[in-house]
Amino acid sequence: MTVTSLPPKSAARVRVRVNRLVLYTVLVAVTGLFLGPFGWLVLAGLKSPEELAASPVHWLPDTIQWHNFADAFHLIDFLGYARNSLVIALIYATLVTLSSAWVGFGFARLNAPGKKILFGILLGSMMLPQLITLFPTYLIFAKLGMVDTYWPWVLWGLSAAPYLVFLFRQFFAGLPRELEEAAIIDGAGYIQIFWRIFLPQSWPVLSASFIIAFTWTWGDYIAPQLLLSTDHSTLAVAVMTTYVNGAGAPVANLQAAASVMYVVPILLIFLVAQRGFVAGMSTSGLK
Amino acid sequence: MTVGQISSAQGGTDTAKAADRPAAANRPRISMNARRQRAFYMFTSPWIIGFLLLTIAPMAYALWLSFTTFDGISPHWRYVGLDNYRELLSDSVTWDALGRTGLFAITSVPLSIIGGLGLAVLVNRPLKARGLFRTLLYLPAVVPPVGAGIAFKQLFDTNSGATNGALNIFGFDALGWLADPYARYVLLMVVLWGAGNIMIISLAGLQDVPRELHEAARIDGASAWRTFRSITVPLLSPVLLFQTVTGVIASVQTIMPLLLSADATTAGVTAIPQSNYQYMMHVFAQYFAVGRYGYASALLWVLFVLILVATGLIFRFSSGVVFYNVDPEAKK
Repeated sequence: MTVTSLPPKSAARVRVRVNRLVLYTVLVAVTGLFLGPFGWLVLAGLKSPEELAASPVHWLPDTIQWHNFADAFHLIDFLGYARNSLVIALIYATLVTLSSAWVGFGFARLNAPGKKILFGILLGSMMLPQLITLFPTYLIFAKLGMVDTYWPWVLWGLSAAPYLVFLFRQFFAGLPRELEEAAIIDGAGYIQIFWRIFLPQSWPVLSASFIIAFTWTWGDYIAPQLLLSTDHSTLAVAVMTTYVNGAGAPVANLQAAASVMYVVPILLIFLVAQRGFVAGMSTSGLK
Repeated sequence: MTVGQISSAQGGTDTAKAADRPAAANRPRISMNARRQRAFYMFTSPWIIGFLLLTIAPMAYALWLSFTTFDGISPHWRYVGLDNYRELLSDSVTWDALGRTGLFAITSVPLSIIGGLGLAVLVNRPLKARGLFRTLLYLPAVVPPVGAGIAFKQLFDTNSGATNGALNIFGFDALGWLADPYARYVLLMVVLWGAGNIMIISLAGLQDVPRELHEAARIDGASAWRTFRSITVPLLSPVLLFQTVTGVIASVQTIMPLLLSADATTAGVTAIPQSNYQYMMHVFAQYFAVGRYGYASALLWVLFVLILVATGLIFRFSSGVVFYNVDPEAKK
């Protein structure tokens, strides 16, 4: 590309060709390396137990064991765990998206003494290690009798997530001032302004926030592992811990099949909603 | 919390009505201001209340526990002052775990930043199908930790793993990847697998680098490496700083060692291979496998303070190195 403006020397052209070939080779190799682990997981899910236990490795299944996926579905109550995951993720993603939009509107369009300090704390709390606060929070939830209920996710959802607040704040701060001025002259309150004017404008952020929060919760392992009993737990916990046979030995091929079924919905969501996903991700790096 | 929200919301509309009636003629500006202030606190209160109840309160509770022998069951706990902290200082398990965590942070963070930045530079070149490459390279970063853990356990399984299969082809002996001393390398590779995350964020930064700068450098005869080092990296440095800080915090609290071990339940924490028994796993074990809430809380607070200090140090040492592009004209 950079050379096209120079006089067409054949040596230079050959060099560009070679560079390009090297670049593609490197990219294809790296991409293969990145897809490898997941590909191997799918393969493991299609092997028989004997093939998976064979040493040295049995690279490809002799006959593809499609029934592993059905077996993985029935060995544990896969659908029940998936429903738990779905319910928790929907509760949290809906509540946290609305509450973060609500709080983000406050930081973007309103003013009061202490706003600067509060915003500083908000940004700082984005960097708080969440696992550290989770352990003592678990002890408090246990005291309040909220273990083995979905209340923790309701409370976490209602109290907004700093990162999502920041996303909404950036978006709302970029909207023109006239939007609310006309409404204020008409006598509308801020709740109406938020609900009728700002929220309907923010579909891109709303969907990005919802998807981010949904995938967080779907992927979370430690919180449901601590807070929910095995029967009421999420798919993440079930896939990780419940694939054992009667003797307590792990059933690796079914676990691999199950984890493929656990991961694929998230990959699909990402592929369908890639734009919002990436926009949400990269905004975090720009600040 | 909902009750508080509703009542404060009603407070907001009440004053709004009151302000409309008599004040309209006299001092509409001031009442407008008061209205805005009330509304600000009404809108931010869910986060403020949540932060106090779900972050500050648990941390304060843990601080109090760290001065006691509380174990969650026995009613005969007592206040022991700094005893837990004293024990922690003389506990070699704690120091070893801390050392492993530190080593993991200072290897995994730079490696994944270099890897992510390298990928970003590659897929930022004008290529056919670069969108496809970007998507495929980012995909592993979307895979939930549980999926990543199981995939890597399969990949590095002593008998059926592809890595040992490959070693075998080249005539090497199989290695026990998931046990000591190799487990730490598998952990590192899981983290690097997610470098697509940093790639995407760096890519956004790369596309913000003004074209003219690159063209000027090319006219001056600068080499590609020189351009990268003197133009791209400085302009990306705020993004890289952000990645360093969040990377350190993420690596300190990774639960991947647990997900890579044979038994990922609470009871299995103590069976994690030594080389992956990091500080966070030690905290987890002391809380939920051993049940020493007091001692575990002391461990927790020490880690919390160390992270704050580390974050502060990174910001301080970077202040001379990170370049903030403040000229709005220069940003295209």
